[in-house]
Amino acid sequence: MTFEEQILMELKAEITTRAERRRTVRRLFTGAAIAGLAAAAAIAVPLLTGTEQPAYAVAENADGTINVQLNEFRDADKLEQDLKEMKVTADITYLKPGKSCRADRGKIIGGGSPEEWEGSASDRAVRLLPQGGITIDPRHVGDGRTLVMAFTEKRGQAPRTEKPEVKWQFSAYVVEGQVKPCVVVDDPLWGDAGGSGRPPAGS
Amino acid sequence: MRHKQAKIATDHVAFEAFYRRHVDAITLFLARRVDDPHTVADLVAEVFMAVLDSAHTYQPGRAPELAWLYGVARNTLASERRRAFKESRLTNRVGGRRTLDTDDLARLEERIDAERTARKVFKAMADLRERDRAVLELVAVDQLTIAEAAAALGIRPGTAKVRLHRARQKLQALPLVMEGTPG
Repeated sequence: MTFEEQILMELKAEITTRAERRRTVRRLFTGAAIAGLAAAAAIAVPLLTGTEQPAYAVAENADGTINVQLNEFRDADKLEQDLKEMKVTADITYLKPGKSCRADRGKIIGGGSPEEWEGSASDRAVRLLPQGGITIDPRHVGDGRTLVMAFTEKRGQAPRTEKPEVKWQFSAYVVEGQVKPCVVVDDPLWGDAGGSGRPPAGS
Repeated sequence: MRHKQAKIATDHVAFEAFYRRHVDAITLFLARRVDDPHTVADLVAEVFMAVLDSAHTYQPGRAPELAWLYGVARNTLASERRRAFKESRLTNRVGGRRTLDTDDLARLEERIDAERTARKVFKAMADLRERDRAVLELVAVDQLTIAEAAAALGIRPGTAKVRLHRARQKLQALPLVMEGTPG
């Protein structure tokens, strides 16, 4: 193969990579635009229910990031308190299927456009863990800012077994300054995102 | 919001056609300025990579494709010289250099050799002011028209004409430079 062909091949691969990245970000933003919301990473992940375990588990990693494992949709206030002690101001909302918070919660970092979002604090503050649950990076939240997260239950659960799985999707972004309380509304994008379970770019 | 992406940056077929249309011209453009085959090959890759980055700035009808592309190539070359090939965003580089087989190497060396006069001209032009030299390069060495050179540099044709005139006056001793497309 000549060097010209080799270069062409590499560039085509690059086009594919870029298209993939754009699609992911845009998909999230198309939804976001309709909702008037900056961006929502919506991923279906298993939520393990069971009375024998606490509603959630929080663990700090050596690199300063924090893992949060959700078991049940309760005790959001307590989780906020635990995160506060780890220097992360968070606003957590649990929602019923088909609901979301109205998109007027505050000034979202990186909320202007897909380009602005990519690599912004909002984009980088939270990552989904492969085993379910999330990792928060406090460095991307910062002082005077709030990590706003809303978790929504997904319907259509697997049949009840000993350890029933509950799917959820979530949105997360960082807000500068005041955060308004969640006003629950019908989610216009319900069923649109998260179905495939494919995490957004960079997750 | 994002400008509508030019098709060449997103569509494999459109990009391939664009690439094949211009890869030779760009290789020669670079061979007139750089005398190392590996570097030329690297730069070809970088120029077309830059096309992916800036395809949305191309406005058909404003300037011919090649003039726009020469503008991209100039910027790429300038920024590559600044960062001195510390990194490439594409693969297929070993020890910081693109791997070339002997055929590639021979073909590139041939082209570089064929463009040696042009490189001499560049040396002679080194004393000119950067702004004037840019126009002269594109017109006298790369054979663009004044209007195309202006488009490549993002300046008005009148401005390009003035700069070209000034550059030529300073370089009257250099025959090749005078052969450029008349304004």
